[in-house]
Amino acid sequence: MTQSGWVPVALSAMIEAGTSAGVVVDGAEIVVWRDISGKAHAWEDRCPHRGMKMSFGFVRGDHIACLYHGWEYDESGNCQYIPAHPDLEVPKSICISRYGVAETGGMIWAHVPLGSEAGAAPELAEAEGLRSLYVDASVAAVASALGSDVSGSMLTVSTADVALSIGVQPISDTQCALHVTVPMGTSVEEKNAVLDWCEALRRQVENSEAMA
Amino acid sequence: MILHNYDLYEDCYRVRLLASCTEQELELVNVDAFPGAEEKSETYLKLNPLGRLPILEDGDVILRDLAAILIYVAEKDAKARFIPTEAKARAAMFDWLGFACGDLSVATQARAVALLDAPGDGVALRAQARALFRVLDDHLTRQALSGQGYVAGDTATLADLALFPAFALSRDFNLDHDEFPALRLWARRMRTLPGFITMPGIPDYH
Ligand code: FES
Repeated sequence: MTQSGWVPVALSAMIEAGTSAGVVVDGAEIVVWRDISGKAHAWEDRCPHRGMKMSFGFVRGDHIACLYHGWEYDESGNCQYIPAHPDLEVPKSICISRYGVAETGGMIWAHVPLGSEAGAAPELAEAEGLRSLYVDASVAAVASALGSDVSGSMLTVSTADVALSIGVQPISDTQCALHVTVPMGTSVEEKNAVLDWCEALRRQVENSEAMA
Repeated sequence: MILHNYDLYEDCYRVRLLASCTEQELELVNVDAFPGAEEKSETYLKLNPLGRLPILEDGDVILRDLAAILIYVAEKDAKARFIPTEAKARAAMFDWLGFACGDLSVATQARAVALLDAPGDGVALRAQARALFRVLDDHLTRQALSGQGYVAGDTATLADLALFPAFALSRDFNLDHDEFPALRLWARRMRTLPGFITMPGIPDYH
């Protein structure tokens, strides 16, 4: 089931300026990258030339370049430079589709599906990204293990006296990512306890999936 | 020092990377490992009866075990950069070096099955490698909490250098980097080490 709307795809802190990463939302492959100025982008993860994943590529200033033949795209997704034809004025038709993108609550969000009209992004309190936990189970299985409901792609849970705000990213029917954030000012001991909790949760959910 | 080398073997790259980061010359003797299986020829079996690469020769020293080779080269580093002297950090370094050279050999095997026609159950090996990457990602996530960017402290050690190739080459056996964010950041830091070099399969971004 493909949901429509804003979905968290990474912790803000894990995508450093000048880097890219591949993420998947309900089977759709998305490249999340941050340009040198710090602005986040979310695009279809596919180079129009030969289909290479753009997340394998590299960021150059405010462009991202494909790993395969080095085609470079500017921040609006238009191809600006083709190394094999350095003097060519690249036709405007060569471009990559972009997702609506936002940053809030310590996470980068993309608006799915591709091409959908992106309304206002959620406004979440400032929070510190602790870790992204990848779990081999559906969002529903995780939510039921936590006894909590997903609302606006978020789960809220309290553990070890810390109130967690967790962004939920469905990857497939059998996989999801939990972007775990903690309130600003959480101590290192508390964060370590939350990390224990994360690893235990992953074991618990995956073990019960394996039994099912 | 002479390294009997095959460019596409990640274990040979581990040695080349370390030598480069410690500014030591390696004389490379390239072995026709694939498809020639020259490391299993009469000549090579005399050097290493196990029929494997890499082999390191330095005068009358002949080493065939990956960890032994790496420790030897790291100890010959005039600036002693990669083996901590403080007991706890040193122990942690050896702990992760064992993980890299022992446990993570399943990643080496998974890649050899995918790329070099080696025998083995590629699906099972990939699943084992993925479980180990999770262990490493969990560890680096915790290290970051105490401001430590590397597996055994706040600077890169021999263990980091030994671990790096497995992750950097995992796409060769179809294991993507998406679900290991802490490993991604760490790998990026590793790329900035003075003397860092790549091998085929590890893109050079500059
Ligand atoms: S596939 Fe991207 S440049 Fe060729």
